[in-house]
Amino acid sequence: MVKTEGNFAVEDMKNVQINIGAVVKEEDQWDKPMGPFPKPGVATLRNWDYTIMNRYKIMYAPADDTCTLCTYGPCDLTANIKGACGINMEGYSGKIVLIAVLMGCCAHAAHGRHLYHWCLEKFGNMKFDMGDEILVDSPIYQTIIGQKPTDLKGFGEGLAYLEEEVVQLVAATHTGQEAFYKDFESKALHAGMMDLLGMEICDMLQIVAYDMPRGAADAPLVEIGMGTLDQNKGVLIAYGHNLAAGAEAMIYAENNNLWDKVDIGGVCCTAIDLTRITETGRDSTIPKNLGPRAKVAGAMGWWRKMVRSGVMDCIMIDEQCVFCDVLEDSKKRKIPVIATTDKIMLGLDDRTNDTVDSIVADLVSFKVPGVAILDPTKAGEVAIKTAIAVKPLRAEAKTQNKMTEQQFKEALDKCTNCNQCAFVCPPHIRISNLIAEAKKGNLEAFSGMYEICVGCQRCEEVCPQGINIMDLYEFANRQYIGTQKFLMRAGRGPARDTEIRSVGAPIVLGTIPGVIALVGCSNYPKGTKEAYDMAREFANRGYIVVTSGCMAMDMSLYKDEDGKTIWEQFPGGFDGRNVCNVGSCVANANIADAAIKVATIFAGRNHRANFDDMADYILSKVGACGVAWGPYSQKAASIATGCNRLGIPVVVQPHSVMYRRSFMGRADKPEDWMVIDARDGKMQQIEPAPEAMLYIAETAEEAMIEMAKLCFRPSDNSMGRSIKLSHYCDLSMKYCGKLPDDWHIFVRDAKDLPITFKDQMMKELESKHGWKVDWKAKKFLSGPLRPADVSFDPTNIARKIRAKK
Amino acid sequence: MAAETKPKGIDTTKNPVPFEMAQIPGPEMAKTYMPKVIAAIIKKSNRPLLVVGAELFDDPVMFDKMIELGKAGLPIAATAHSVKGFVERGYQDNVYQIGLHPLTNYLRFPDWKGLDGKGQYDTVIFMGIFYKFANAMFATLKHFNRDIKRVSIDRYYHVNANMTFGNMAFNPNDYHAAVDEIIAALKK
Repeated sequence: MVKTEGNFAVEDMKNVQINIGAVVKEEDQWDKPMGPFPKPGVATLRNWDYTIMNRYKIMYAPADDTCTLCTYGPCDLTANIKGACGINMEGYSGKIVLIAVLMGCCAHAAHGRHLYHWCLEKFGNMKFDMGDEILVDSPIYQTIIGQKPTDLKGFGEGLAYLEEEVVQLVAATHTGQEAFYKDFESKALHAGMMDLLGMEICDMLQIVAYDMPRGAADAPLVEIGMGTLDQNKGVLIAYGHNLAAGAEAMIYAENNNLWDKVDIGGVCCTAIDLTRITETGRDSTIPKNLGPRAKVAGAMGWWRKMVRSGVMDCIMIDEQCVFCDVLEDSKKRKIPVIATTDKIMLGLDDRTNDTVDSIVADLVSFKVPGVAILDPTKAGEVAIKTAIAVKPLRAEAKTQNKMTEQQFKEALDKCTNCNQCAFVCPPHIRISNLIAEAKKGNLEAFSGMYEICVGCQRCEEVCPQGINIMDLYEFANRQYIGTQKFLMRAGRGPARDTEIRSVGAPIVLGTIPGVIALVGCSNYPKGTKEAYDMAREFANRGYIVVTSGCMAMDMSLYKDEDGKTIWEQFPGGFDGRNVCNVGSCVANANIADAAIKVATIFAGRNHRANFDDMADYILSKVGACGVAWGPYSQKAASIATGCNRLGIPVVVQPHSVMYRRSFMGRADKPEDWMVIDARDGKMQQIEPAPEAMLYIAETAEEAMIEMAKLCFRPSDNSMGRSIKLSHYCDLSMKYCGKLPDDWHIFVRDAKDLPITFKDQMMKELESKHGWKVDWKAKKFLSGPLRPADVSFDPTNIARKIRAKK
Repeated sequence: MAAETKPKGIDTTKNPVPFEMAQIPGPEMAKTYMPKVIAAIIKKSNRPLLVVGAELFDDPVMFDKMIELGKAGLPIAATAHSVKGFVERGYQDNVYQIGLHPLTNYLRFPDWKGLDGKGQYDTVIFMGIFYKFANAMFATLKHFNRDIKRVSIDRYYHVNANMTFGNMAFNPNDYHAAVDEIIAALKK
């Protein structure tokens, strides 16, 4: 649809002018026919949601037994009884899930809305162009909205739709509205889909406006780690998710030749996005090759460790994932804080309309601990000037706030071994044991736990002796944090169409055993290294490993025996044996995009306004598994829920029980695993593949075995199934010392069996499971629930049946 | 909330505070019991299932103790990658490899046939599982399948269980002795 803007005056009429905002022409510039569900409403895709939920049963693990949402309460809902309003525990849990998913969705959508206005203001209405190698350029948008945006302004239609849906969904959470748990979950799935849309809009806007890499497998390696920040300069930290103000600081430094006086490091996803700016040097209005000037200080989980390092001179916060006590931490260390969006203002004075010099003067004299400046350009200039000017003035504060050896010893002596800290530590670190070792002069215990500590600071909050335990960690690891220097591949953006063409068939047939998407934050159950271990395990096995955000940062902090980071060990393409960093949190949309592009580019499906068709294809044929191994936020809940609606299963870590809801299949119920063969419309039982839609693993070892299993799809051909079974069984042998108990249910033909286990497995199938084997021909006479059939076309949607009438 | 009568032996009823202190779910919270009482309840059950997790690797002697319980007739669901500990010790007779999450999913349905195909369980006994995860899976059963008795013999006070020890996380000797009491009672 094309809109033409303008106004005209009616002649011969005095004092009358008619203003027309936009003339809308019904001119469709896209040759694909409109699908059935453009801009689906809250209930439009409910049938698809129920298809998912009928197979993958909603499972709740309530975090509390009471509802306190209205004045009737608190109501005890234990044992699924009803509260005063009539809602039971299932319904209440569904409501909480929906609220959480909406929180995450809104965080991304509001980010997108801010960028939309900001980019139009700063850059004007740019053409939406993802380059010659990405022609399917906004697949989520096109799948949901049914339109192709042609310029930045075009994304406004999607944002407006999204915002309307969110209002409807929030309304449903009011007491007296929705009550049935499955419909809450259908709405949560809708909110998750909105989240995918919001993330994609965000990333597309910034890719075009800031000229970020468009699917560059060879995106540059950028520096990561606190040790990369030059302490001879003023160090400015941009912390959060929205690059607008941080980018302005970089532009100011570049335009004023200040890089010899200031260094800029990012924390959390702002870090990744700053390093993506103008790397391709296209027709951008901002300086070329600016991105690699910024450094990645680290992931959000390292914040409290980094702020104690004494390296930072000025902090700009934007939005999302900012620790709520950032001002307290910085005030104590005399680090001026600049709040740059209205999402987080922390009680600071709004100085947007004051002069730069007056704001800088107040900050560098420590007259105020921080300010709010809602104009990104002004915030960027103030931040650079403050970082440079305040540095010498902070010298004393830097040393004052660093624990001395004497203070360290005194703090150790205060410990009474009460273990209150261990009662609240998420990874259950026995801090008193670390202190006991430190008292003996052994700091290795503290050093060893540094990466396992998630930096939540709950230990300090409960310590009856008031020991600053985070400072103890800092003291014991000072050398490490100050010299931490690694490399990370800058976020490359979407998969290119050519990459999808190359891997489409191997993914669908299973010969590339799967796509593993490692995403999320830094709340790992057993430390940051798990991110690296998972990526390496699956890249080495030939999976396509994609990653983003804090997990991409965290996996950068380790090297192999040759001193290479994960990015130097593996290329950055969307291909097997590659590790592909798509970008920041909002770039997670690019992972969902890739799955849709397999359906549309490889399989030729029409994705336009056709969400359930895309999801059905992905669920049945695209062996992808999302892994959020360190998620902490509601955004992670919404991302996972969006992926689930799109047919992508997700594995999460054990702390994720706090999300309360999961989707689990029942492999013991054959009736749950019936699909339609689209060739003739007949029903066919399939093996439970994928077996779960949201799976909580207790350990990384379990997670890795499950990830391999969740890449099984009914469409696998025998070679593909054999390869997938090989990895599933091999991982189980590696981490459990035995084959998994359920491997046999995925076998349809002797050719499906992994070569390394073939004879052993055939014997076991005969002796333990009663299958009849023709040993001469090496094939099964009976046993498998269905034959392997390479042309089998599984679907869950009746309209996909192709049978001739 | 300690139970009234305390038979002789290690006192496992002290310190009934959730191991993660903020895990205060609501009006119904677990009671702490002495090992012999817990053993009697396990013994009385028709379809018990011992569910053990990867924290056994942190205190490997617990594998041997769990094997003793397995030999005493308790089938074992080894969650996460804990089955490796049993494989290494050459004991797999009644040990099943399954994640805690899918296991709990099955446990909430009365029509599930169990790991051995003989029917749903009436008592689950959790041990050696990451606290927050075990707590949440107990919560699932607490709300959605009240026919299964939830027992913890872990070193933590498990607030969403029916029967649990108090916190013994920092008294490994007492804890080991308490588990030994259960083993001895079940062997009788």
